[in-house]
Amino acid sequence: MSPSSKVYRGKSGQWAFVGHRVSGFLVFAFLLLHIVDVSLVRWPAIYNDVHAVYGNILLRLFEVGLLFALLFHSLNGLRIVLVDFFPDGVRNQRLLLSGVVFLTLAAGIPGAWIIVKPFFLG
Amino acid sequence: MAIRTPDRIGSARPRGDRRPRQNFETWSWFFMRVSGLVLIFLALTHFAITHIANDVTDTKIDFVGKRWSNPLWQVFDWALLALALLHGLNGLRTIIDDYVRAPARRITVKAVLYTLSFGLFAFGTLTIFTFTR
Repeated sequence: MSPSSKVYRGKSGQWAFVGHRVSGFLVFAFLLLHIVDVSLVRWPAIYNDVHAVYGNILLRLFEVGLLFALLFHSLNGLRIVLVDFFPDGVRNQRLLLSGVVFLTLAAGIPGAWIIVKPFFLG
Repeated sequence: MAIRTPDRIGSARPRGDRRPRQNFETWSWFFMRVSGLVLIFLALTHFAITHIANDVTDTKIDFVGKRWSNPLWQVFDWALLALALLHGLNGLRTIIDDYVRAPARRITVKAVLYTLSFGLFAFGTLTIFTFTR
C-alpha cells in the first residue's frame, strides 16, 4: 500500500475534528497572551498604552478571529457532548455540524461588525 | 478528543458485562465535557461584556478597577482563568501526544507547556486578587 492510500478520509466529521483542534489551540495561545496583558494593570500607564493598541484595525480583526474560534469551539464542543452522551446525537452528527457552522456564522457575523464598526465610524 | 471516547455508543452493553476500569484518561475525557460546558457560559459572557457590550478601547484601567471591586467578578474571572487554562492544557497534552512522537522531545515540550501554564496561572491569580486602585 502506498502511504497516500492510508490517509483517513473522515469527511465532514474529520474537518470538525481539525477545526476543533486549530480553534482550541488558537484560543489557548490567546489566553496566555491575555493573562500577560491584563496583568499589566499593576502598572496603569503601561496597561492603558498597551490597551490602546487593541483599538487598531489589525487587532480588531484579530478579535474577530478570536470570536469565530470561540464560537466554533463552543458550539462544536456542545456537538461532541451530544454525540458522546446521546445515541440520537451520533445518528444526527452531520446535521448537528451544519447547525454548528450555521450558528457560528449567524452569531459571528453581527458580532464581527460590532467589533470593527468603531474603527470605521469613529 | 472524540477519538478517546469510551465504547458506550448505541445500545446498552450486554447484561453481566463489566464496566471498564476508570483510569486517568477516562476522567480527563469527562473533565473536558464538564469544563467545556461551564466554559461556554463563562467565556462567551466574558467576551460579550468586554468586546460586544463595551468597545475594547473603553476597557481601560478604570473599567477593570470597577469590575474587580466586586468580589463576584473576581471569582468569575478566576474561575474562567483556572478552567480555561486546565481545559486548554489538557487539550494541548492530547495534541502533543498525537504529534510529538520522540520521547525526549515530548517530555521537553510538555515541561515547557506545564511550566508556562502554571506560572501564568499563578501570575493571573495574583493579578485578580491583589489589584487595588
